[in-house]
Amino acid sequence: MTAIRLALRLGRWGLVGFSGVAFIATFINAAGFYAIAGHTQAEREAFARSFAQIASQLTVLLPPATRLDTVGGYVQYRAYGSLAIVFAIWALTSAGGAARGDEERGIVEMVLATGLSRARATAARIVAFAFACFIAALAASLGFILGVISGNETFSIAPSIEAAVLLAALAMSCYSLVLLISQLLAPRFAMGLAGAVLLGLFLLNSLSRTFDSLATLRWLSPFRYYELSQPVSPGGTFDVQATLVLIGIAVVAGATATLAFTLRDLGAALFALRTAAGPPTYEGSSALIWRIPVIRGLYDRRVGLTLWAVGVSAIGILFVILTKAIVQPLLAIPGLAQYFAVFVHGAIYPSFLSYIWFGFAQLLLAGFAITQVARWSAEDTDGRLELILGNPVSRTQVLIERATVLAVGALIIAVVSGIAVGIETRNQAIDIDGLRLAEASLLLVPFSLVFAAVGALLAARLPRATVGILGVVTFGSYLMLQFGPIFKLPEWVQDLSAFKLYGQPLTNGVDWSGLVIMLAIVTAGFVASAVAMKRRDVGA
Amino acid sequence: MAAPAIRTSKLTKDYGLGHGLFDLDLEVSPQEVFGYLGPNGSGKSTTIRCLMGTIRPTLGTAYIFGLDCQRDSVAVKHKVGYMPGDMPQFGSLRGKEVVAYLGGMRGGADPKIVRNIAERFDLDLGRRFREYSSGNKKKLGIVLAFMHRPELLILDEPTGGLDPLNQQEFYKLLRETRDAGATTFLSSHILSEVEHVCDRVGIIRSGRLVKVAELDEIHRIRLHRLEIEFAPSTEVPEAAIRAAAGVEDVVTADQSVTCTVKGTFDPLLRALNGATVTNLVSHERSLEEIFLTYYRPDEPADSMR
Repeated sequence: MTAIRLALRLGRWGLVGFSGVAFIATFINAAGFYAIAGHTQAEREAFARSFAQIASQLTVLLPPATRLDTVGGYVQYRAYGSLAIVFAIWALTSAGGAARGDEERGIVEMVLATGLSRARATAARIVAFAFACFIAALAASLGFILGVISGNETFSIAPSIEAAVLLAALAMSCYSLVLLISQLLAPRFAMGLAGAVLLGLFLLNSLSRTFDSLATLRWLSPFRYYELSQPVSPGGTFDVQATLVLIGIAVVAGATATLAFTLRDLGAALFALRTAAGPPTYEGSSALIWRIPVIRGLYDRRVGLTLWAVGVSAIGILFVILTKAIVQPLLAIPGLAQYFAVFVHGAIYPSFLSYIWFGFAQLLLAGFAITQVARWSAEDTDGRLELILGNPVSRTQVLIERATVLAVGALIIAVVSGIAVGIETRNQAIDIDGLRLAEASLLLVPFSLVFAAVGALLAARLPRATVGILGVVTFGSYLMLQFGPIFKLPEWVQDLSAFKLYGQPLTNGVDWSGLVIMLAIVTAGFVASAVAMKRRDVGA
Repeated sequence: MAAPAIRTSKLTKDYGLGHGLFDLDLEVSPQEVFGYLGPNGSGKSTTIRCLMGTIRPTLGTAYIFGLDCQRDSVAVKHKVGYMPGDMPQFGSLRGKEVVAYLGGMRGGADPKIVRNIAERFDLDLGRRFREYSSGNKKKLGIVLAFMHRPELLILDEPTGGLDPLNQQEFYKLLRETRDAGATTFLSSHILSEVEHVCDRVGIIRSGRLVKVAELDEIHRIRLHRLEIEFAPSTEVPEAAIRAAAGVEDVVTADQSVTCTVKGTFDPLLRALNGATVTNLVSHERSLEEIFLTYYRPDEPADSMR
């Protein structure tokens, strides 16, 4: 019980943050439904028809929508579809931290030294996460119910509880899978591989909706079992068998992870390449690269940056292929071709690519910025910043170097993925303006810097809470784009969303005012963080 | 006249509830090895962080070689080699990469010194940081602090985690560095450690400097618990032991005596004159015990001056 309490204590910010995100996601969607769908049945059916067209374009990411004329169907699609991704990310970070992060900090060693067996220690972490994610999933249910109440409607409690169980089961299966993968490899590779596996399983399921060849493999993906149930959608079902499969994955992967943990040395991987022990080295590295500011930071992050650049490029290529696969059949329908000619002036491919690829790329680059900010925060809390400041470098220099490393890193990812997308559009015979593609790709750099600037300010003031708050800010920024127009928020408030400021550069060109505002936010954020950084205590 | 290596005036960092550092007036001369002694939580690291400019004092000033530790913190660090109490995590970086990374930040390290120290402490710089034991992490900290021939070394509990042989090597390195002209400010909570290498010692308790003493004064306040076993054929010189200056709490049982010795051992050794001792074990008492022995807990810290 003590071990479970400790595990909950270690993950309390995740519990609070993700519960908040889950609550807001369902509440704002439920409340938003009444603002946009109208109140008569005819209005809602009309809304459902138009929204279903948008939803059909997004089946690459989200499950197909049903009963969009009801608040349940709308929230099932809009909120619970996205929450599956959010909870999977939570599972990834939480399990990675539990398996390897706490081990590096010596927490696991201390826990085991109390006489707790490895099996019980692992079980405690799994149980604690199960409890935490169920609470967060219940927060989503609460948000949904309160949202429904705000629309003066009523809703049965049971389906929202089923939705919570389903969401928690998915998160648990992802958690146990990550826990298992984390045992296998060295810490510096484990998180990358675990993230790639989860992304692969997610894409396997979502792409199987478009590519029939993948349909036979989708049983491998936990996300498949998640989307078999649609409990809050009227007429939807709660597939008990599929939910049990998710719980089964969690149990089997958790048990295997426990076994792997008992078989490996603390701090080591279960499978490690044995390297021949060479003679000891008593000299520092003579590589010039460590002496050059910014370059040394990039070199230090070389593995991560390479993974990001390759990963984002691969997803970009995939989205181009999807664009072709989805749009081509649509253009074959004479009525739709006419519709596209009128509304998107014939530029259907760029419009679609802009919507699905650059929409997703923004999320990825925001994620990249958050990971870098998390590193700044970790440098602060583990004492690395204090040691760095023991050298003749000013705090402002440290901040500038950090920001530049992040900017160059984002630039590398943007350029590499832009080139990859450009090449693939040619391969797919998609006509796209090269200059616009370059602009859209490069615009991802100031976009990611917006989050970096906010993160730098947070890291300067509240290093221990930075990542959680920045995650909420990012989520809020995304919600602002989605719900600002629905709730008729003032234009200046909507302009605070980096997602809105980015605009649609692939189809409409660069939104210069948006770019200027982004740069202003970046400048203000970093200047403020420089001031805050100068005034604060480090290492106290 | 050369500026003092370290000078603080009314240096205060108030964390509230009586925690922090208060009214520290201290001066360390160039080429001096100054020991900064205090129990855990007494304010040693807070003082060091104020000197390093990583935390801002609530009141007062701190200067290193005449440079303001806050205003001129970058210039100060050109002159300083710093070793924190706990080495931070460098994950999968190799020791040599950490040296190059931090050496690069300060514009270069002396490769001869790096090699010399790594060899002396048998620190394999080719291994990854996460593979290092806590002792090896300390050794890496020593390399990082010494690698650029600093004029002033600020070392926060540098020997914690080092085995006795490496501790001796470290003391030797400190003496060599002093002979080469460097100043050292070394914090510790072990009295015998500072005795090995320091010219003067400052004792801090509850955030206040209670004494700055020369080495012979430190010898006087040292405190040991002794267990002495006499040969069966020897008469235990109990009366002489009880009468010896600085010897207290004498307990005899058959052929063994336990007692507490304040200051030097000379009076006790004279009392043992002629007796055959078969075993003698000495335990150094903690700083807390020394404080309790010499000063009542409710006694104001100022009275120790």
